[in-house]
Amino acid sequence: MNYNRILELLDARLHVSCKTYETADINNFVASDLMSDVLVLEDMEFLLITSLASEQAVRTADIVGARGILLVNSKVPPAGMIDLAESLNKTLISTPKRMFVACALLGRELASEGREP
Amino acid sequence: MTPGFVLDPDTAPGVALELLYSLKVRDVMTTKLICGKRSTTLRQLRDTMRDNDITGVPIMERDRIVGMVSMEDILRAMEEGRLDCTAEECMTRSVISLADDMPVNFAISYLEKHGFGRFPVLNRDGDLVGILTSRDILTHLLVALNRELERIEAKDREARAGSTAATANQSTAAPTGANAATGAAPEGATPGTITQSTERTRIFTTRKFDFERAGRASTEIKRILTERGVDPRTARRVAVASYELEMNQVVHSVGGTLRFSLLDDGVEILAVDRGPGIPDIEAALTEGWSTATEWIRSLGFGAGMGLTNTRRVSDEFEISSNPDGTSVRVRINLG
Repeated sequence: MNYNRILELLDARLHVSCKTYETADINNFVASDLMSDVLVLEDMEFLLITSLASEQAVRTADIVGARGILLVNSKVPPAGMIDLAESLNKTLISTPKRMFVACALLGRELASEGREP
Repeated sequence: MTPGFVLDPDTAPGVALELLYSLKVRDVMTTKLICGKRSTTLRQLRDTMRDNDITGVPIMERDRIVGMVSMEDILRAMEEGRLDCTAEECMTRSVISLADDMPVNFAISYLEKHGFGRFPVLNRDGDLVGILTSRDILTHLLVALNRELERIEAKDREARAGSTAATANQSTAAPTGANAATGAAPEGATPGTITQSTERTRIFTTRKFDFERAGRASTEIKRILTERGVDPRTARRVAVASYELEMNQVVHSVGGTLRFSLLDDGVEILAVDRGPGIPDIEAALTEGWSTATEWIRSLGFGAGMGLTNTRRVSDEFEISSNPDGTSVRVRINLG
């Protein structure tokens, strides 16, 4: 699915768009508030779903090669987080929806595209 | 929103920053606790606040905090003629508390972020042990700054007295490159920045609880490798090892350095900190073993995966530790 579909599904707000924002086809998501857990994964090019509104979420996304960050639970990204996402070329979006609801909606959308969540 | 009095780590004087990171909430909080019960009326709480010159009262049930009543709540109740209501009816229930071992810079960011004038402080067992207001922070910071400046001035006076006695051309400077050889942090180095670099070696410094800067070394290392055309999966392994080691120093040590060397056929990272050391390395290499506190976990780290994950992504991994510090050397092969 593309970013516009994600914004629509989750009533999400776009804060930073990466260079491949328009063309990206996102089919993998990782949801965690513990960056330690994200760092042990082998996945790449996923969207990191978290409620950790800090620069460390952006740094973690950069280090593991994630596409960007989806902030859940109405978290507002602080200025430093937005600046870092811009400089590291990471998409940053936020949604008022809770982690579980956001994951359920994205999972359903992936399934409707014939992809395994 | 106004930036408040949070110091910018890039421009703030080192002395002030050191104090913000080294002073703990428990060092500056008020420990004289004046509490109310659910059944206490707002009129009684108003009198308590006036008599004790305080602006907020925690409401307790047995030994647990269940709410807070602030001066603002009292003012609102006075306007609405509800001073005989009980705390139970009017208190703020979603109380945000601080941990007593948090550094003061975190408390400052909480005051900024949540807009409350005071926070209850809990210890590891969840017991209420104090109250922290911005006035407490300012008072203690001023005292601590004063003490630190006196110490620096005394040191300066000593140095001046010493220098007049010393011969004019005596040099005590360390030879260039000494820090690179030992991995020790150069005196006065700014954390998170490159303190020494050659074409193939970079040294970064870290400081205890400096989460604002933590990770900069790893971001920079990944950028360098990517620019050199290193395979993305290998660059990622190096960055993960570096980030885990960097976060370990920030969370668990008093600070240290990361030396990053680009070799012909691999990358070597040497992480050296200045203590307090790992008492049980075997346990630290067990997944999920962690000594991190809850508030560190709330920042996304301290899950007890750091060293095991570093070892997992590395081709070579060596660790040694004593109370003076921990040294971890990892190597990741290229190609």
